[in-house]
Amino acid sequence: MNIVKIENLVKRYGDTTALDHFELEVREGEIFGLLGPNGSGKTTAINCMLALLKYDRGSVQVLGKEMAPDEYDIKRQIGIVMQDVAVFEELNVYDNIDYFCSLYVKDKKRRRELTEEAIRFAGLSDYRRSYPKKLSGGLLRRLNIACGIAHKPRLIILDEPTVAVDPQSRNRILEGICELNRQGSTVIYTSHYMEEIEQICTRIAIMDHGRSIAVGTKEELKSMIKTGETVTIEAVLLDREDLADIRELPHVFDVRYEDQCLTVRCTRAKHNLIHILGFLQEKDIPFGRVFSELPTLNDVFLEITGKQLRD
Amino acid sequence: MPVFKAYMKIAKKNVWMILMYLGIFIAITVMFQTFTEEQEADYAAQSVSVGVIDEDGQEAAKSLISYIERTNEVHLLEDNMEALQEDLFYRNVEYIVRIPQNFMDRCILGDEKLKVTTVPGTYSGSYVEQQISNFMNSARSYGAAGFTEREISSAMERRTAPEVNLTEVNGNAVRDLSYTFYYRYLPYLFLCVLCYVMGYLLMGSSRGSLPDRMKASAVPARRQSAEGLLASCVIAFLLWAVCILISLIFYSRDFLESGKAAWYLLNTFVLLMSSLALAYLVGSLVKSSDALSGIVNTLSLVMCFTCGVFVDMDLLSSTLRKAAQFLPVYWYETANEILSDYAVIAGSVRSQLLGAIGIQMVFAAAFVCITFAVAKKR
Repeated sequence: MNIVKIENLVKRYGDTTALDHFELEVREGEIFGLLGPNGSGKTTAINCMLALLKYDRGSVQVLGKEMAPDEYDIKRQIGIVMQDVAVFEELNVYDNIDYFCSLYVKDKKRRRELTEEAIRFAGLSDYRRSYPKKLSGGLLRRLNIACGIAHKPRLIILDEPTVAVDPQSRNRILEGICELNRQGSTVIYTSHYMEEIEQICTRIAIMDHGRSIAVGTKEELKSMIKTGETVTIEAVLLDREDLADIRELPHVFDVRYEDQCLTVRCTRAKHNLIHILGFLQEKDIPFGRVFSELPTLNDVFLEITGKQLRD
Repeated sequence: MPVFKAYMKIAKKNVWMILMYLGIFIAITVMFQTFTEEQEADYAAQSVSVGVIDEDGQEAAKSLISYIERTNEVHLLEDNMEALQEDLFYRNVEYIVRIPQNFMDRCILGDEKLKVTTVPGTYSGSYVEQQISNFMNSARSYGAAGFTEREISSAMERRTAPEVNLTEVNGNAVRDLSYTFYYRYLPYLFLCVLCYVMGYLLMGSSRGSLPDRMKASAVPARRQSAEGLLASCVIAFLLWAVCILISLIFYSRDFLESGKAAWYLLNTFVLLMSSLALAYLVGSLVKSSDALSGIVNTLSLVMCFTCGVFVDMDLLSSTLRKAAQFLPVYWYETANEILSDYAVIAGSVRSQLLGAIGIQMVFAAAFVCITFAVAKKR
């Protein structure tokens, strides 16, 4: 079953098109990643999904119903974690989580249980009486997440929840998201960090200029591109003729040489590295460290758009 | 009511600030009250030091001395020129009257005038002169009617000074009642506390992505606004109730017996509403706590100094008074002045009072409209 279905969505800000016939389908039970560079339209898509923004064309269905600002039954089943930390500075950790939970759960006893659970989940037990100003960036982000998920929603939308967070807190947040998914929540996760998306998402949509340019599992996305392996070698004294010869090696389709670093991209095949190293030895070209990498989502983005994800 | 509860929790954090402003308010009230009471002490009755040289010593002379003594301080002096000059120089006495020998025949039955010496340039001498003149006129009348010296003396003794009761034309003399000061300075407290608390609340709830998170929640936006408004009204009402309670504790008897307590309550309540509406406008415009603090202090002090709170309205220039008419506090103070000036609120006075209160309500409505317009534009 589709938890979210977006069709032909167009959103314009004056002359700028933020979403250009954007399409999306999120199935129940998955962790769906929206990956794209800053300004690609991820947050606009989320805001349209939550009916926070009016759009120019298209339709947004959430939990099987057309989403609208007054669809409170749908909203009751959604948890939102905003890109900016959205908590009350005047309330402590417990009161903040309790407050946001109370927007969805009326029963006081049940709310107390949920608040305690969210505190434990976010690892904030030692900070329950602390005020947001006293928390570190990582703890603040965890509080932000706890406020969004305390009412145990069916659909959780996390908009870049790990921005400006230390690696330790980031890992904890990512583990937590997987745990929420295991508990039964469907998760939509937006980020411009491809490693995070690769690590936790079961399906991924890559966005650029307000469009969904590729959708699938990470394996499906990687299989869409030509690159099967990227070999990087520290080598000196390579001339144009050598580079042309390397380009002629089997399965090689792209060769770059910058700052005495040779980067060779090959299609999916066996022994690519042996062929390249054999060529260098044959030509008596000295070389140092050697790396071989499988394709990443950045390679996917690079091949589809012609630019790096972090451009 | 989650939004209501959250607002109340946030407001609770400002309790110390509210107490601080309450302390400042009470200090200002007491200070101005004491200052005014000291000024009123200048009008206490004063007596003149009168020196008397009694050369006669008979019944009529004693009667005159006794008459002067009723309202003045009498010093019997020896007829010594040097000593008399010294007494006048050092202001031991301000007026000297010499009663000649055979006073009855020469001055009461005859035409001889009493010899007097006074300090030049003082007004007190003329008061004593008037009293002596009164005595002499009466005594001469009795003498002409055939009264003996003893009879004139006893007749003058029986004459009592007339009692004068001063009543204001408006039938009231309550300007100096202490609670009028208390109610006069209330706008300062209302403006400071409400602007600060509302600003703090509205600023807190509009920070960063909080409005979006609230809009995405399961509580309808209208309900959120209604709960926020209810919390603001409850806070304002509590402030009003505390202020009224304090006035009842300090001035309960005067205040309740004045017969105008209900009018004072109405006037302060309407002021509270206009202050709350203004506080909402300020809170919706301000973005940082530093700016809030500056705006609250500027706004409250400017209004209080130009609208007759800290400076009496009579001392304000006509231009300033005209300008102040565009502020609600001016109309609150106008209503307050009417309440302190008139004992009975009826007829045209009642209309004036209702007019001033009505204008404050118009201000409250205007502030609400501006706040909505600002919110809609955003």
